[in-house]
Amino acid sequence: MIRAQSVTYVAGNRALIRDIDLELRPGRLVAIIGPNGAGKSTLLRLLTGELKPTAGRVLIDSRDMAMLAADHLSRRRAVVSQHTALAFPFTALEVVLLGISVPGLDVGNPGAHRLARTMLDRLGLGQIAHQTYTTLSGGERQRVHLARALCQLECGRVPPEETAILADEPTSSLDIGHQLLVLDELARQKENGRAVLAVLHDLNLASAYADELLLLSSGTVLARGPAAEVMKDDRLSMAFGCEVRTNHIPQNGAPFLLPQSCAAASADTGAYS
Amino acid sequence: MATQSLSLPHANVSSLDRHTLGRRLVWVGWVALVLVAIISVSVGPTGLTLSSLPQAFSAALSGSDSAADAHARLVLLEVRLPRMILGAFVGASLAVAGAMMQGLFRNPLADPGLIGVSSGAALAAVATIALGSSFAGPWVRALGAWALPIAAFLGGFVTTMMLMLIARRHGTTAIATLLLAGIALAAIAGALTGLLAYVTDDRELRDLTLWSMGSLAGASWQKVLGILPFALLLLLAIPRFIRALNGLLLGEAEAFYLGIDVERAKLWIVTLTAAAVGAAVAVAGTIGFVGIVVPHLVRLIAGPDHRIVLPGSALLGAVLVVVADVVARMIVAPAELPIGIIMAIVGAPVFLHLVIWRGGALSAP
Amino acid sequence: MSRFIAGFAALAIGAAGLAASTSLAAEVKDATGEIIKAADTSRLLSIGGDTTEILYALGFGDKVVAVDTTSQFPPEVLNKKKVGYMRALSTEGVLSTGATLILANSHAGPPDVVRALRTSSVPLVILPENEGPASLIEKVRLVGRAIDAETEANELASRLESQFSALEDARSKISQPVKALLVLSVSSGRALVGGRGTTADVMLELAGTANAAASLNGYKPVSDEALIEMAPQVVIAARRSPEENVAADIAALPGFKAIGAGEKVPIIIMDATYLLGFGPRAPKAAGELMAQLYPELPQ
Repeated sequence: MIRAQSVTYVAGNRALIRDIDLELRPGRLVAIIGPNGAGKSTLLRLLTGELKPTAGRVLIDSRDMAMLAADHLSRRRAVVSQHTALAFPFTALEVVLLGISVPGLDVGNPGAHRLARTMLDRLGLGQIAHQTYTTLSGGERQRVHLARALCQLECGRVPPEETAILADEPTSSLDIGHQLLVLDELARQKENGRAVLAVLHDLNLASAYADELLLLSSGTVLARGPAAEVMKDDRLSMAFGCEVRTNHIPQNGAPFLLPQSCAAASADTGAYS
Repeated sequence: MATQSLSLPHANVSSLDRHTLGRRLVWVGWVALVLVAIISVSVGPTGLTLSSLPQAFSAALSGSDSAADAHARLVLLEVRLPRMILGAFVGASLAVAGAMMQGLFRNPLADPGLIGVSSGAALAAVATIALGSSFAGPWVRALGAWALPIAAFLGGFVTTMMLMLIARRHGTTAIATLLLAGIALAAIAGALTGLLAYVTDDRELRDLTLWSMGSLAGASWQKVLGILPFALLLLLAIPRFIRALNGLLLGEAEAFYLGIDVERAKLWIVTLTAAAVGAAVAVAGTIGFVGIVVPHLVRLIAGPDHRIVLPGSALLGAVLVVVADVVARMIVAPAELPIGIIMAIVGAPVFLHLVIWRGGALSAP
Repeated sequence: MSRFIAGFAALAIGAAGLAASTSLAAEVKDATGEIIKAADTSRLLSIGGDTTEILYALGFGDKVVAVDTTSQFPPEVLNKKKVGYMRALSTEGVLSTGATLILANSHAGPPDVVRALRTSSVPLVILPENEGPASLIEKVRLVGRAIDAETEANELASRLESQFSALEDARSKISQPVKALLVLSVSSGRALVGGRGTTADVMLELAGTANAAASLNGYKPVSDEALIEMAPQVVIAARRSPEENVAADIAALPGFKAIGAGEKVPIIIMDATYLLGFGPRAPKAAGELMAQLYPELPQ
């Protein structure tokens, strides 16, 4: 539903993204992984329409995103950024409500409130609905913004198969329990038919939840496909510049990665296989 | 999970309550405005009260010649009424402009002065006063009483437009550039103002000083007409900016994601506020604190949602200026204090209190 | 027949007398060209120190109900109600004094308020600008016409005229005019001096001196260098209140120290309102100044 065609992005004489093709399809969760500075966030911002590609196009429903108005886009895709600064004392609930009131989706006050509460509950934030945003922890804030994005799509009056969620590191400040909570929610959204894109730094989570992985390095795609194909030692080592050893869960063969120091990896000769 | 308890009164107020509180605040604002307006027109050094209103109207409508009727007409309909209306519009414009600037800059301490409107207007006014007796003389005289307001308005507007031109070159960093360039332009305008003040003579210098302290003394229906279009443009545009300003609070990228045409919103906001503030400065001189203190008070009571902050600021700003004007007129009657001084005397301590006691709520974490 | 004529004459004279006494001061044309009919002259509002002084000199001081803040002389004026600074009047404030006639000098403002007052039922007479002896005489005569005190005004005017011509005579006897600098005030280390086109300039000329600051226009701050170039032979300082130690303030400024102010260049102190008000005391003030500067001249 969102497609990048031969997209290149140059900023300040540097090509941050080089000639990338990417498609987000309804009902699938795509995870972008890669080292710092690979261009993951930039790619996400190109796909959201915030950045205009230097070359190539980004299409949404086969129409060029650059030609579409902001509010047309806002009904079809919602974004959860990595960092959102908010200088004013809104409560958590009010921030979530911004997802409905700002796009101007007419849901009516009680309906909007109910929806916002539901989203907050689903993300484990029911208790802090009336707490001031500025007093929340980083992880709580991230979830508030995810709730906001979900509300935005929920009210857009566009069928889920024609919508997309793009999340930039939605789990970076969360503990394992909440990481799973968030990814379970994203998975549920995928089941509903939405296209989901998430930039993830945790390779194991990406491996466990994504239908398709995209390994990005220096603005180009090193590998793409299901986890089993992408989570290969040689690819990952090259991408991350560090010896990496993947293993597989015996029951289903899903790949996973246990952290080990770069020095120890080369010395060890298969203690985990 | 850290849940520090800050001494913020609204930390645990349910959001629904806060919205209701906000609506009530707006209602109270309207009532207060009507009350204050009536008081303002019925109070004055001549001791005339509203009971003379019928006389005033009969003089105006039937052209009655009796001295008492003419007196009532002059004081009530030519002096107090336009003055009250002017004060209300000036107050509302300054307060709403302040609220919008704070939303645009995502900073509770922003003020229309930051985009150079006030300094540009002041510079133009000074230039008019200073050069009006020299080479610009013929033009100034031709415009008569309109020279100063027109100059002030153009000065403010041109300064803001220059600023937009500078800031827009830099694309996404526009707001930060706007802020810095605004400060720079304000400094330049201040220097030029000082230079011109040097060139003027003693008499003109006094006029300048008085003008910069702000006053509604020369209020007339002409001046009301002068500010009306710009004030109305800004105030009637409020509903259209609520969404954009709320969205912008999360940042420009987020606002875009939420469906706001950010560039257009910024352009409109800056233009309309520049026009309204320019007009306000043009007809009433520089009146400070309204733009910062009023929106802040509204946020303290009813939260940062612009659905309440914008109309609330307009109403509270109008009420504040009208009340300050009553004080200005009565406290040393038959003389008058410049209204800017009253605002400073009242506004500065309130502002200080806000910054010290609620400072926690102001800083972006 | 003669009785008829006598009776008629008596009637005519009586009528004329009656008309004269209720002849609401005839129509007066003020300095801005407005025609004013001052019907009731019982409560006067005076704007401008010079206006006030004229009214008191004509004996109408007790009819003055309010003045502006620049009115400082005679001392009893300080007890009158004040309507504020003459350039910052308020329409309603002015009207609330209950004045039946407003006399204002050319500085009254702001223009919007003046305009509003013109539309009120209270007559407003604006006096001409201060431009020299002739304008003072004109001011006095205009005030006289407005308040129906033409006799007193004419008396005052002729007194002033003779004072001015006496000054002129004295001036003709001056062989070497002294170069004088008039300091209006000292603030933040700078002295404000009277250049061309100021009342100070007029007074210096009347007193038979040459204005050392003739190169400046209006009241301007003077730089130390300019001061040295001006090389005044005497400094005249305007003092606002007796508590001010103006001489010391001036002598302390480096520029003035350099030209020897207080030592080889004497500093003469005069009351500001007296010296620069340009009211009826103006010729007297000029005369006093002249006497101090040219002691050899016969009085």
